[in-house]
Amino acid sequence: MVEEGKMNKEIVISPITRIEGHAKVTIYLGKDDSVKEARFHVTDFRGFEKFCEGRPFYEMPSITSRSCGICPVSHLIASAKACDEIVGVNPPKTAILLRRLIHMGQIIQSHALNFFHLSSPDLLLGMDADPAERNIFGLIEKQPDLAMQGIKLRKFGQELIEKVAGKRIHSSDWILPGGVQWPLPKKKADYLLSTLPEALDITLKTISMFKDRLQGLDEEVQNFGNFPTYYMGLVTATGGLEMYDGNIRVVDQDGKIVADQLDPEKYHEYIGEAVEPWSYMKFPYYKPLGYPDGAYRVGPLARLNVASHCGTPLADKELKEFKKLGKNGVVQSTFLYHYARLIEVLCCIETAKNLLEDPEILSERVTSKAFVNNYEGIGVAEAPRGTLMHHYKVDPQGMIRWVNMIIATEHNNLAYNKAVTQVAKKYVKTKQLREGMLNRVEAVIRAFDPCLSCATHAVGQMPLEVQLIDSEGKLIDRKIR
Amino acid sequence: METVEKTKLATIWLSGCSGCHMSFLDQDELLIDLAKKVQLVYSPIVDVKIFPENVDVTLVEGAVANEEQLSLLKQARAQTKILVSLGDCAVTGNVTALRNAWSDSDQAVLEKAYVETSDEKALIPMAVPKLLKKVHSLHEVVKVDYFIPGCPPSAALINYVLTELLAGRTPNMEGRSKYG
Amino acid sequence: MSVSTVKLKINGVEVTVPEGTMILKAAKDNGTIIPTLCNLEGLTSYGGCRLCLVEISGSPKLFPACSTPVSAGMEVTTESDRLKEYRKMTVQLLLSERTHICSVCVANDQCELQSLANQLGVDHVMFERQWTNDEIDSTHDFLVIDRNRCILCTRCIRVCDEIEGVHTLDLKLRGKDAQVIMDLDDHWVNSCSCTSCRKCAKVCPVGAIYIEGEPVFHTKNKDIAEFILARRNRKWRQ
Repeated sequence: MVEEGKMNKEIVISPITRIEGHAKVTIYLGKDDSVKEARFHVTDFRGFEKFCEGRPFYEMPSITSRSCGICPVSHLIASAKACDEIVGVNPPKTAILLRRLIHMGQIIQSHALNFFHLSSPDLLLGMDADPAERNIFGLIEKQPDLAMQGIKLRKFGQELIEKVAGKRIHSSDWILPGGVQWPLPKKKADYLLSTLPEALDITLKTISMFKDRLQGLDEEVQNFGNFPTYYMGLVTATGGLEMYDGNIRVVDQDGKIVADQLDPEKYHEYIGEAVEPWSYMKFPYYKPLGYPDGAYRVGPLARLNVASHCGTPLADKELKEFKKLGKNGVVQSTFLYHYARLIEVLCCIETAKNLLEDPEILSERVTSKAFVNNYEGIGVAEAPRGTLMHHYKVDPQGMIRWVNMIIATEHNNLAYNKAVTQVAKKYVKTKQLREGMLNRVEAVIRAFDPCLSCATHAVGQMPLEVQLIDSEGKLIDRKIR
Repeated sequence: METVEKTKLATIWLSGCSGCHMSFLDQDELLIDLAKKVQLVYSPIVDVKIFPENVDVTLVEGAVANEEQLSLLKQARAQTKILVSLGDCAVTGNVTALRNAWSDSDQAVLEKAYVETSDEKALIPMAVPKLLKKVHSLHEVVKVDYFIPGCPPSAALINYVLTELLAGRTPNMEGRSKYG
Repeated sequence: MSVSTVKLKINGVEVTVPEGTMILKAAKDNGTIIPTLCNLEGLTSYGGCRLCLVEISGSPKLFPACSTPVSAGMEVTTESDRLKEYRKMTVQLLLSERTHICSVCVANDQCELQSLANQLGVDHVMFERQWTNDEIDSTHDFLVIDRNRCILCTRCIRVCDEIEGVHTLDLKLRGKDAQVIMDLDDHWVNSCSCTSCRKCAKVCPVGAIYIEGEPVFHTKNKDIAEFILARRNRKWRQ
């Protein structure tokens, strides 16, 4: 698909595969054939901010859960927190523990999905491997033990969600404003504790394997989205890793804390959203620096950059090693999102164990009852891919009048564009297109682990064709996958 | 080396949330058995970029919401023997189709998301696939052979339907057609 | 006291029931369930949903079992390919008439329409769906009506009229435009007759009328009309 633009030549990679959602990349070449810029376009949109209007607020967890099938729990939690505020109650302690538990399950399965099912074919079969085999089915054939480990780790996360909330995906019957619908029976808690050690073992083995391979991946580390940005994430009162509650911390590329313990509900004071005509995904930016200088990253890499500790022993040990890879403990390379992801899985498994062993998690008091007491509610939590915000305004009867959602993946949009530009500049050098070159552009996107259904509150797809055109508009080369 | 001819399976996601694909992956260890019987010739989780010819079974998740999805769906229909609507968005429109309640729904949702709730450069993205006026379920647009309702359909149900189709049988959907 | 009885055949099996019994009850009392939606024990029959249509030999027409009394020598068929096809079509028509999105509905998994569709194997709707967007009336303290989910079974109207006795609810307009209204079509909070007894929510087969903040499985009670009627008529003394 050739598109004429201000630049003379364009290469379009479409669709990006082995990511969640629909996107394409356009690489703009100058007259001298060098890469000038690359852009990351998100190509579908559903419109949650509009069609939720007129629905009762207590349906929002159910509806927003359907933003995304990989991280529906993140939306359930952010939405429930916003609804808690509308209702004006504090959920009982057990309800919070259970919500935290299911959140751990969510992060474990989502990170496992990205690492094993989506990205590992690049890392383990090779970036230049035959595209027909460079996928989870190819992994099942070529490295069956590893594929099985990935399946089992994801299964653990999904079962954690299922046992607590009744359903693996879109378990919206369980969570509600003011708490959760039903408690956790001891039998199920015991079952989860029995399958936990295997998940822990797989995670530790995978981290070890990744670290071993890191030497051979130096090129990727240096060139895949390795550039300075700010970082943002939720932290505890003592600056530790926090996924469910906490306050916002922003850290600059040198590790300096530029803003700390910000109220996440006042997100609008420090985060703005811009629009570009070539993508359905909006562009959040850090307001003090303006647009587009205010680029920042969220997600596993960012969270480990802003946090000083994880709070669980094995994860903290790994975190110390991880931070050594960056200046002042801040790791810039997007490729190392993969490493950060694994450390987060470790932390989540350790945390899940603590939660399951807490006797209070079995208590039956799990709902606080009330109705509309406030006309506005904001819920913020850390989804697997970064900070997620749900903001609702209702009328006195509780009908939604206004919705805004800033989705984890969105925050990284400016960084996405920087990253694909960097990789394209490094690898799209010759007049010959090679398939592995294109795959590398896609691989940096996979490292971010985008969730584009969420990010545009929509989903879509397109086929891929890459064309290389010279300055006279003549087709030099073409690759179709 | 394959000694048995594997069924060519494809999956597509249109305007949905990818939950049905996640449910597909929720078959867990059964995926290993499935990998022996099928060749995944096109899918968001494999790197094939053009929909191939002569596909045996295609599972399609998501409703049709923009022009590119419409043309991909038509292409898939033409190049596939058995087309299956996977999940409520594909079968009924589901949440994706909530915008159909507004006339000029495409404009309404774009205005809200990109103009009313943006701080900088509030404009409607143009250089991206154009939204259709209404969101459609798949069988409003192409002939569909089988339907798997559910939001998402359980992994067990997906496995049942695939097993029946691979064996050349018609799945019995009585008691297996729960929406939601 | 003797009651005269009637002998008839249901699916080839001879049964004996009291005179005046509707086919639906005659079948149920003899182990055969005919699907229904608008019918509710304890309320008068309405015959509106058309799901209980049965075949009676000697006539090409179909008869609603809920409002057709038995007669001597009648031969009723309750299961056939034709009836199955018509039931599936009826469910599809109901699903297409308004905005039915099970996944986000308060009655998900507790809904009689949803479970009937499941039971019959209605895996898709062949008719074009109408995406209605009627405003939800949540003005009442705790009762809510979402008319986008209403299937016009009129159970709520009948229970309010016959059991509670206040007749707050009724229908306005006709055909697919018909709507359940309160009093003279004002917001629920302004109703001068409603006693807030919640029976409408208890008998609603779908997620159209429900109680805010209360899980639907907790609210629904299909036996309420029969129970109150029996108590009122002192039936336990027999």
